[in-house]
Amino acid sequence: GDSRGAARASSDLVAYKNVTDLPAVRDPMIQVDQKNEAILLPVSGSTVPFHVATIKTITSNSDNRTSSIRIVFTVPGTPFNPHDASTLKFQSCIYLKEVTFLSKDAKHISDMVQQTKNLRRQVTSRESERAERAT
Amino acid sequence: MTDGHLFGNILLGGRGGTNPGQLRVYSGGIVWKKQGGGKVVEVDKSDILSLSWLRIPRSFQLGVKAKDGLFYKFTGFREQDVNSLTSFFQRNLGITPEEKQLSISGHNWGDVELDGNTLTFLVESKQAFEISLADVSQAQLQGKNEVVLQFHVDDTTGANEKDSLMELTFHIPNSNTQFVGDESRP
Repeated sequence: GDSRGAARASSDLVAYKNVTDLPAVRDPMIQVDQKNEAILLPVSGSTVPFHVATIKTITSNSDNRTSSIRIVFTVPGTPFNPHDASTLKFQSCIYLKEVTFLSKDAKHISDMVQQTKNLRRQVTSRESERAERAT
Repeated sequence: MTDGHLFGNILLGGRGGTNPGQLRVYSGGIVWKKQGGGKVVEVDKSDILSLSWLRIPRSFQLGVKAKDGLFYKFTGFREQDVNSLTSFFQRNLGITPEEKQLSISGHNWGDVELDGNTLTFLVESKQAFEISLADVSQAQLQGKNEVVLQFHVDDTTGANEKDSLMELTFHIPNSNTQFVGDESRP
């Protein structure tokens, strides 16, 4: 495509190139892969990666007994999500919009939120610098 | 019954984590026994609807779809096992396993496929994840464009997973012609 010059669309960001690059997760739990800029989610006994660029917000909620983590992904047509090349190209696709997990470990959940937020910030600033250089 | 293949340390996967055990594949079907006793999964040859291979990190996963709608996932096969088992299945069961690919791009858009009791989210035609609709406690429309699936949460200590999926929402744009709203109700 037209990846030269213009800013990269979010769809050009890819978490992994090969299946063998994906870390093997022994126990089903949420993990952050800093190197590949991905959050790994346990869904039905499998590990599913999502690039942090697809994440709009990540929040946690804890009371005495339970903790939960909620991840909202970017979808087309929502406020503050400009129509970039990716949303136009994939506008008829079905999007995973939101997931909520319950957790037994409040500390783990707050770590995951913090790590994801930091990683997301790094990726966003790198991509906007990249876009600026390109213009 | 000396025919067939025996594999140790094969994990039976699903919600609530995985359990190691021994898997035997023979001309009559597939039997998995939990290590140290307990759970046994037995799928008779005549009850197998389809088989599939999925390459996952460090190993291969055998998917066994039974005619009663249940779907079993066995993990821990090596590449050479895939080859020998594939020819065994073809010869003895008359089934060629479908080769599936795992989506690793980390993208959140794709297609939803419903097949029997299984919902698959495909990204660029590769499998991102599968959900058994038996695990869904409630499905509802939210607004015009969203489908919310709520999952049974096992809050007993029996589940060995630390984080369990509770709710999942799909966004279906107006331009999508596949009407998932009704179909996804279990």
